Amino acid sequence: MKTALLPDGLIRTLAGQALAFVVALSLGAVIILMIDESPIAVFMTLMRGAFGDAEKIAGTLLQTTPILICGIAACIGLRGGMFNVGIEGQLFLGGFAAAWVGFAFALPPFVHIIVAVACAILAGAAWVAIPAYFRVRYGTNEVVSTILANYIAVLLTSYFTIFLFKRPGGWSETPPILPTAYLPELFSFSRLNIGLLIGLFLAIATAAFFRWASAGYAATMVGSAPKFAEYGGINVRKVGFSVLLASGAVGGLAGGIETLGVHHRFMEGFAPGFGFDGLIAALLANGSPIGTIFTALFFGALRAGSLLLEVDTTASREIITVIQALIILAVSADLMMRRRGDRTGERRWKF
Amino acid sequence: MKNFTQILAAGVVLAASAMPSFAAEKVNVAAISGYFAQGFGVSIVEGLNKAKADFGIDLKLVDTGNRALDYEEQFSNLAKTGEYDLIFVMGWELVDALQKVSAAYPNQRFVFIDGVLDSDKIIYASFAEEQGSFIAGALAALVENLGPEFDKIGDGKAIGFVGGRDIPVIRNFLGGYEQGAKYAVPDVKVNSVFAGTFDDPAKGSELAMALYGQGTDIVYNVAGPTGEGVMQASAAADKYSLGVDVDMCSSAPGNVLASMLKRGDIAVYSIIKDEVEGKAVKPGVRTFDLASGGVEVKLCEDVAAKLPAEIPAKLEEIRKEVVDGKIAITKAK
Repeated sequence: MKTALLPDGLIRTLAGQALAFVVALSLGAVIILMIDESPIAVFMTLMRGAFGDAEKIAGTLLQTTPILICGIAACIGLRGGMFNVGIEGQLFLGGFAAAWVGFAFALPPFVHIIVAVACAILAGAAWVAIPAYFRVRYGTNEVVSTILANYIAVLLTSYFTIFLFKRPGGWSETPPILPTAYLPELFSFSRLNIGLLIGLFLAIATAAFFRWASAGYAATMVGSAPKFAEYGGINVRKVGFSVLLASGAVGGLAGGIETLGVHHRFMEGFAPGFGFDGLIAALLANGSPIGTIFTALFFGALRAGSLLLEVDTTASREIITVIQALIILAVSADLMMRRRGDRTGERRWKF
Repeated sequence: MKNFTQILAAGVVLAASAMPSFAAEKVNVAAISGYFAQGFGVSIVEGLNKAKADFGIDLKLVDTGNRALDYEEQFSNLAKTGEYDLIFVMGWELVDALQKVSAAYPNQRFVFIDGVLDSDKIIYASFAEEQGSFIAGALAALVENLGPEFDKIGDGKAIGFVGGRDIPVIRNFLGGYEQGAKYAVPDVKVNSVFAGTFDDPAKGSELAMALYGQGTDIVYNVAGPTGEGVMQASAAADKYSLGVDVDMCSSAPGNVLASMLKRGDIAVYSIIKDEVEGKAVKPGVRTFDLASGGVEVKLCEDVAAKLPAEIPAKLEEIRKEVVDGKIAITKAK
């Protein structure tokens, strides 16, 4: 009987992942040497920028939050055999929906947050519903359709922002949301808010769902062996659709938390790339929501550290993007090698 | 040999005499923006690099990237140590982070380029758009006045203006443009329209086409990205356009008459120069005008070659009169 919160083969997975990180970081060090910086100095600055003092740690956690929640969205999809690459778009629509509720309606303090967050979740789910329908009805590849939906989402929210809801004067952004819709901040010195706690709770809840709930087991079966699941009496289409919808809902939530907790308004192009960062964090964690907490923290720390890196050294912040890309390459190589080991023919994505 | 020693000696004397006038400490400057690689941002980087070469200042450029989440930390990382005498900021999307961090670090001097905000703790570099637009208006009117004799000009005696949104700063451009046109050619007509948006090139193109269709031969674009459509329309209709902010001659070669430049490089250079010379820059608005070279009208070479020589001469004459204060330009408010 499986009762652990973490997936099996943990040691093998962790060893492979660790090796991939070491390879990627060594390659990164070589690149840092090539731009005449000391890898050790760069590393120390990164650490200082990420964990130097309480403010810096809060900054790291602030960066971690959207990556974590997007990562959970990706985990849900991956477990159910659905590659939701459209989290970026769901995040944009969720962010816009939450901001819209935030500035367009006056509601009592607590209710306002609940309604805004609910709208973000609905917007995210609604946005993935179209690709999800085509996926289960006609077998359209959801990777392609969700990626394409991203572009539409980003431009659609730009359109809303610029043409329908633009704040008078200045930059392309909506009016600020009312203070009743602000997510409570955790510390006085940072914009870090309860979004982080929501993310942590969600990660644990998702992991528990896939481990212990029968619906979670059904989804995992549909993801890893759809034919077997169907034979076992599971409505594969219905489960697949629900999985994508849930994934999109969490993606929308990520956007809502960003606008309600951090920016307090929606700006055109407000959070580019978080959806993809989350997907990468989830892939690195091998589809485990608990593991995603750590990979998201790692990426959050890299990003927060890079902000100081750019100020304190001559290295560009983009060196972080390079290191991130190297990690992805190394980890995908590890995944590929593992997959070749046990090819069953059934699985589209093995997690 | 004797000559050489003399030059050398002169150099040493010059350097020595120049030394005391520099501030005791090395001036340390940072600049932060997401646009260092394009348009107006490039000219700011040029100005900063020139200041670095001339005054030996320490210069740190920080690219904000495009994630709004990062801006505030990037500003605090720069301001926290207090090591920078001046931090130049460019880009309206940074305003929020700028105001927050400026309030948190009141002793840090920030220079906001091309705009004025509410805070009185910040230094603002603003440009006298009405003066540059006055010259642009005079140029357009003079060329229009040549009539059908000149390539692509009809006999409508009308020039045009496409603005972004109808806001005071754009009205200021229009006011200068109209006054300049009437000053040069009193009976010229000025047709102006506002697109209502800065982000819609298609609309800019549509409006410019409508103006060209009404017998307007030269259209001044003051509409940001919407204005790209204006430049394209001038090529499509084979008429003339006037660019704004940066040199736009290459956006429709042969159809762009000139560009009204806002010289970000001159603004940052002269602010740093004051700082280096010990005249510490204080919060408040600094306006860069025709006299300081902060705004200027640059003719496009391909079209300028065809213009009769008296037009550039006349423009120079008008420019001098504006600089000397002989022509008073009313600012729109």
